[in-house]
Formats: sequence, structure tokens, C-alpha cells
Amino acid sequence: MSSYLLFLILGLGSGATFAILGLGLVLKYRSGGVVDFAHGAVAMFIAYVFVNLRSQGVLPLPLIVVPDHIRISSTGIDTTLAIVISLVYAALLGAVLYFLIYRPLRFAAPLTRIAASVGVMLTFEAIGVLNFGTTSQTTPPILPTTPITIGSLTFPSDRIFFTGIVVVLAIALWLIYRFTRFGLATQAGAENDRGAALIGISANRVAAINYVIATVLAGAAGILIAPVANLDPTSYTLFIVPALGVALVGGFRSFWLVALAGILLGMGQSEIIKFQSQWTWFPHGDIPDALPFILIILTMTTRARSLLARGEAMTQRNPSVARPKNPMASAAFCLIAGTLIMLLLQGSLRNAFISSLTVVCIALSLVLLTGYVGQVSLAQMTFAGVGGFMLGHISHGWGLGFPFSLILAGLCAVPVGILVGLPALRLRGVNLAVVTLGAAFTADALIFNSQGFAGGLVGLPIKPPHLLGIDLSIAEGHDYPRLIFGIMVLVVVILMGLLVARLRRGAAGRMLLAVRSNERAAASVGINVPQAKLMAFGIAAFIAGIGGALTGYQQGTLTADGFATFASLGLLAVVYVAGIGRISGAVFAGIMMSSIGLAVTFLDERFGIGKYQTIVAGLALIVTAIANPDGVMSTTTGKGPAVLYFKLQDAVVARIHGTVTTKTPAAESEQPAEARPAVEQPHHV
Amino acid sequence: MTTATATALSVDGLDAGYFGSPVVRGVSLHVAPGEVVALLGPNGAGKTTTLETIAGLHEPMAGTITMHGESIVGRQTHLLAREGLALVPEGRALFFGLTVREHLRLARSKDGVGQQELLEMLPELDKCLDRRAGLLSGGEQQMLAVGRALISRPRVLLVDEMSLGLAPVIVERLLPILRRVATELGTAVLFVEQHVAFALEIADRAYVLTHGRIVLEGPAEQLQADRKLVTASYLGEAAADELSETANNRSEERLL
Repeated sequence: MSSYLLFLILGLGSGATFAILGLGLVLKYRSGGVVDFAHGAVAMFIAYVFVNLRSQGVLPLPLIVVPDHIRISSTGIDTTLAIVISLVYAALLGAVLYFLIYRPLRFAAPLTRIAASVGVMLTFEAIGVLNFGTTSQTTPPILPTTPITIGSLTFPSDRIFFTGIVVVLAIALWLIYRFTRFGLATQAGAENDRGAALIGISANRVAAINYVIATVLAGAAGILIAPVANLDPTSYTLFIVPALGVALVGGFRSFWLVALAGILLGMGQSEIIKFQSQWTWFPHGDIPDALPFILIILTMTTRARSLLARGEAMTQRNPSVARPKNPMASAAFCLIAGTLIMLLLQGSLRNAFISSLTVVCIALSLVLLTGYVGQVSLAQMTFAGVGGFMLGHISHGWGLGFPFSLILAGLCAVPVGILVGLPALRLRGVNLAVVTLGAAFTADALIFNSQGFAGGLVGLPIKPPHLLGIDLSIAEGHDYPRLIFGIMVLVVVILMGLLVARLRRGAAGRMLLAVRSNERAAASVGINVPQAKLMAFGIAAFIAGIGGALTGYQQGTLTADGFATFASLGLLAVVYVAGIGRISGAVFAGIMMSSIGLAVTFLDERFGIGKYQTIVAGLALIVTAIANPDGVMSTTTGKGPAVLYFKLQDAVVARIHGTVTTKTPAAESEQPAEARPAVEQPHHV
Repeated sequence: MTTATATALSVDGLDAGYFGSPVVRGVSLHVAPGEVVALLGPNGAGKTTTLETIAGLHEPMAGTITMHGESIVGRQTHLLAREGLALVPEGRALFFGLTVREHLRLARSKDGVGQQELLEMLPELDKCLDRRAGLLSGGEQQMLAVGRALISRPRVLLVDEMSLGLAPVIVERLLPILRRVATELGTAVLFVEQHVAFALEIADRAYVLTHGRIVLEGPAEQLQADRKLVTASYLGEAAADELSETANNRSEERLL
């Protein structure tokens, strides 16, 4: 019996961490309406600051290549001093992040804000990996660890102290935000910044202070957990999933509920590990990691109303969406151009181009789901992974041949997509992003870790495709990658592109866009909103599944690491930067920006800079979200190259026709790019 | 009339608008301490834009704004509020999650009006002190918006269409408060109102704004006496003639 109790007490360590991270998330939401996906990443970074200061006397900077640290002392420095410096560091970092990123996005659409915070998350994770490596670090305890013995139970006292700190913090925060003028001002500023200004409160300053406090809390979480759990960039960054879970339980409002939920979650996770070792009948696998997701789903479905989208004075414009003009011609062009590129490239670059195509395919699913329908999905690679691994099972176990195996693999991803999409019937915007992130995290733990489904570390073998006696496989003898395989992938991806274009141009596309703009308005004109959302999730999962299956064919033996949570986040980053509302955005993302794609592989082979892809993608995501939410490939709005091209064209046309009428340039620049040829006609007359 | 230093609020040659396009052009107006001035005009005339620009919510494109002789152009809204410029905005801008008491506590400045004193002016708020603003009726919300502005003992009070969406009974109750504020606190009051008759009843003077320009100004009694002029400034000369004729006819009919 006492050993069960021991595991509960040991779980207090991670529980207190979730709680303190959750408290920071609540603060950020209460003050600025921000659900910050980068909260865990910032905690991770501050934890590294602390550990490096303490053990080596080195102050790491959030930079790469250029000097990324300052040496303060030749040996380590005193623990207390290291903690103080780290917390001050966190405060400064919070202020910088607020003024550079979150303040400019105060009135942005939810998708834009999610994109920006995912960008911050990716950037910090990338900096962590580059500067500190992926091997986990340990640091000696901070809090007293003298064992406490109660009855037959002996446990380290630091867990108790840690939990005590969290409880005190939660009470202090509750008191401050319930009773002080600053607390009231925070709520007032978050609710109505104009109203706050009119009574002499700068909502901006109040939000900034709150953001700094929240970041200091994140730093404290990182520092306190470092001695308890091994420090590495990825797992600390993903603490955001349980932290979001507990913040949700508290409705992003209640400090004490969040603290309680965090502590209970940590204890629960710990206890499950005990159960798994004790009882053979208890389900194995990574159940503890799935627990936060279960918590998220339960909370979302039972109290979805608790985290409503905020009403704000300014209009929240979504990224623009393109309407493909002539899909068949574009498809033919892509086929010819793709074949030519395939012919020109050899070896690893041809392989990278094929990888690019698979990414384009998965990116297309994101264009449909997030671009057209506005449903933010952070689990797109999960769908792809399901398709990929199902292809292995189908092609080997079920004896089904190409192309049916490929189609069936794609179809297998559909139920998963619909399952993840089900919460979308009640949730939107950032809430949905939280659920999909939880789903991706859980799929990592449960599905892709399972030996039976994903083949474990060795991977799952995939039978090469054959069609009508023709061998379409990627390798034959020394011929790798084969041209015919590349063409097959190209054709499949173009077909998926045509599917998306057709959807967009037809009645379905109008329906989906209506849902994105305003669900109530869409419902009022007779659109079945739940059906539209689920359809989008289903089709998107199908397309992503096909993309994953193509990856399977390409790799021959498919491993799970390409489908991890961070792959989904990275995908959102590159597609958003390229232009999430257009098919050309998916193409640009796959070829020019993906870490396994053509451009990055080429740069890596020539200059060895491929390892910087994540940080570049993360930073590009932040900048795009703030400065150019329509993405690089936008033709009508924003600051992309295509817009510049059309502006230049306008200027030239105006110069040529300038003698005819002086009104031309002004009148013309008002027109969207697509409509331009028709408008130009009268000028010749 | 009053000299520049004696005016609490003085606006001169103000151009204001949005995204580089002026909505209001060359507006000049002034309000003395303790004076109640109405700003009238049809929809889209630029009344709200004028008030919001004075309160620092928009950057003026040209012209000067001074409060007690000191230029306030370019100053941030929250700093202006602390210096005694209060705006009761269109849409009220209340904090729906906070209670009435919390609103008053947040807005009260050091030398502000005491809560008791305020509740004497706005007795309706007394019974809902611990209710959240989101649960108040429209009239109560408007009282709160006014109360929130008053409790800081403003030197200049700008009120934007208090009567919007309210029953005339409540408007009749609300508007005289402005007069009381001016008399008791010495505040300069500039208010926008659609109910011309109500407005002229309580105001000392009035300006009429049409298409972004001030087309008419004068003491309230004078404007009240010459309603045709006001109507003309709203709707144009011809329409006014026609309207006043029918109005005259109607009143004659009633007399008969």
C-alpha cells in the first residue's frame, strides 16, 4: 500500500511543474487573451540558463552562430545567485517577446496568433537543440532533499517543498488578481482596452507586466523541475501539452483549480506507472503521456464554453484565400515541370525532390483544413503517419496491390481525422489547436511508439508498388531513386492538388469558406456546419494519409520519427509562411522550405546549413504572422513577391497607358490581381 | 465670449479622420468650465470622430486641441484621462466581467468624487453595486458609464450619444445629470445627442456639425427658437422649408 502512496508523492514533482506552467498560461490568457504555445519552450530555455550558470558560470543567449553565451565566471556560480539571474533573465525575455511579438498581434485573428506562438516555440526549441544538444542534462537538487519518513514511507522532501511553493504562488496570485487594483486593471484591460484607457489605465502596460510575470513563472517552473526531471529541449518544450490541459481545467481563469489539476495530473501519471509495473492486466504503452490529452478532451467536451473567443473592437482578418483559375492547365504545367526537374536531378537531390512532393501532398491537406476552413490542426503529420503505417500493413498483410493499397491507406487515415475533428464541432480557433496538439502528442506516445503498429525502432517494411506488371519501386539495383517512382509520386500529388482545387472552386469550397468566415452566418444560410467541418477533416486526413503512404514507398522501411509532434508544428510553420490559403503555398512550402525538401537539402549539401532549417522556419513563421499573414505566395494582398510583381506590372501598364487616361493606376490598383485582365480591356479603346 | 485661458476645452481648426482621409474638417469649438455644450448633427457628420480625437483615441491631422490652455495633441488616452479628460464613449466600453463597485474603484482618482456623492447623483447604481456590468440593463449600463467618467472628477467631460438605444424616459432622467455635473463640479461638458429637443433643453450652447464642418452655432435658447435653422443645417434648406411647413400645418391643425 505504501508504495502506491510513494508514487503519488513522487508525482508531486511533475505535478507542481504542470501547475506552475499552467498558472503562467492563465496569467497570459487573463491579461492578453494569448494562449501561448511557447510557454514550455521558454521554461526550457530558462532552465538551461540556470543550469549553465550554475555549473559553468555561462550565461546562454537566445542566439545562434554569433556568440551564443557570455562567460560570467570561470567556475560555476552560487545556486541562489544563479536563480536570481535566471529569473531576471526570464523577465527581460518576457518583455522582449511581448513587445516584439504579442503586442503587434493583439488584434490579430486566432490563426495568426497561434502561428506566431508556434513560431516562438519552434525557434526556442531549435535554439535549444543547436546550443545545448539533445542529450539530457542533470543538475543537483535545489530544494532540501532530506528524506522524510512517515510510518513505513520514506520519500525525498524536495517534492513537498516544490508543491508548497506552487500552492503559495497560487494563493498569492488569487489574492492579487481578486483584490488588488492591479488585478482589476488586468481584467479591465483584457476586456476592453479602450474603456481602460478612458479611465487612465494603459491596457498595454498592464498586459506587458502580466506577460513578464508569466514568463518569470515559466522560468521558475524550468528551474524547479530541472533537478527532478532530466533536462532536454524537446521534452521540456512539450510540457506545454499537460500545462495546457491543466490550464483548461481551470478554464484559463481559476488559479487554484489550475494548481490543483496540475498536482493531481502529476500524481496520476506517476501512479499509472506504478499500476503498470504492478498489475499485468493494466494496459501497457505510454499511458501517462496520454493522460493530459484525455484531460483536455474531457474538459473541452464538458466545459467548452469556459474558453470563449474574445470579442474585440477590431476586425480579425483571416489570411487570404486564392481561387485556382485554371487547375487543369496548372496541373499539366506542374506535370511537365516536375518531370523535367526529376530528369535533371540525380541521386540525393532527386530523392529530396521526391520528399518535397510528399510534403507538398501533406501541406495540401493543411491548405484545405486550415487555409480554407480555418480549422487549425497541429496534428497533420499524425494523419500522414497513420496512412504510412497502414500502407505497410495493407501491402504486406492484406496482399492488396497498388494503387488500391495506396487509396485504402489514405482512407484509413479518414476515421482518425474525423475523430480528431469531432471536438471541432464544439470548439474553434485556439481551443481546437490545443486539442489537435494534444492528439499529436498522444499519437506519438501511444500509436507511433507501439511495436506492433509502427515497427518500433526498426520501422515497418512497405512493399514496393507495382502497376500492371510495371515495377514502380524507388530502387532497382544501383538505380536509386528511380525516375519512374518519382513520376508516380508526382502524378499522385498532382491528383491531390486537383482534388483540392476542385473542392475550392465548387459549391463545397464556398461552403467551407463560409464556415471559416462565420459559423453562425454559414448556418443561417443553410450550411450544415458540423458536416462541413467533419468533411474537411476527413478529406484532409485522406490527403495527408496519401502523403504519408508516399513517404512509406519512398523510405521502403517506415519509421515513426518523421511523424512526431514537432513535424506537425514544423509543417504548419512552413505552410503558413508560404501561404496557407493557396495551393501554390503548399508547393512552395514543400519544395523551398521543408527540412527534407529540395532547397534545404541543396543548401545543406553545398553549405552544410540544413540544421538551421527549424530555427529559420520558426523565425519566418513569427515574422510572417506579424508582417504578412497572407504568406509568400499571396498574389493580392500582403507583402509577398507576387504582390510586388503585380505592383510592378501595374506601374509598367500605367506608364504605357498613361497617355490614355490618368486615372488608370489608381483605379487599377484597387482591383484584385485575378480580375486585372478583364479591367485592362477598356483602356485600349 | 470667453477668452482662450478661461476655456476648459478649446479646439481650433481640427482635421480628423481615418487612414489619412479626413472626416472632420476645420472644426473649432470651445467649452468653458461649468458650461454644457451640445454637439448636434445628422448621422455620419463626424460627431463621434471629433470627440474621440479630442480624447486622444485618434491622431488629429491638423489643428490644435488645448485643455485649460495646454496643448493635448498627441497625448495618449490613458494619460489624458489621468489629467481630467473623461469620455463616455459610444458603446459605453464597460468591463462586463467587473462589478459596478469594481468599476468605480478602478476609475476613481485620488481627489475624485466620493462613492456616496456619486451615488446621490446616480441613485440607480446604488442597488446594483455588486452586480456585474454585463448583467445590467441598458439604462443602468449607461448610468455606470457616466458614473465611471464622473468619479474621477473630470475637468472636461465628453459624452457620446448617451441616449443610444434607451427609452426616452431614461434619457430624460440621464441628460439633466450633465447639467448637475457642470454646476456642482465645475466640469466643462461637451455632449453629442440625437434628440435635438432634449439636448437644447439642457445645453447652454450648441454646435451643429454637418458633413464634417460646423455649420451653425449659438446659444441654446436661440437655436430652440429658430428650429427651422437647425433643421436646415441637418437636411438642407429646401427640405427644411417643406418640413417646417408640414410641422406648422400640423401644429395649426392641432390648435384648431
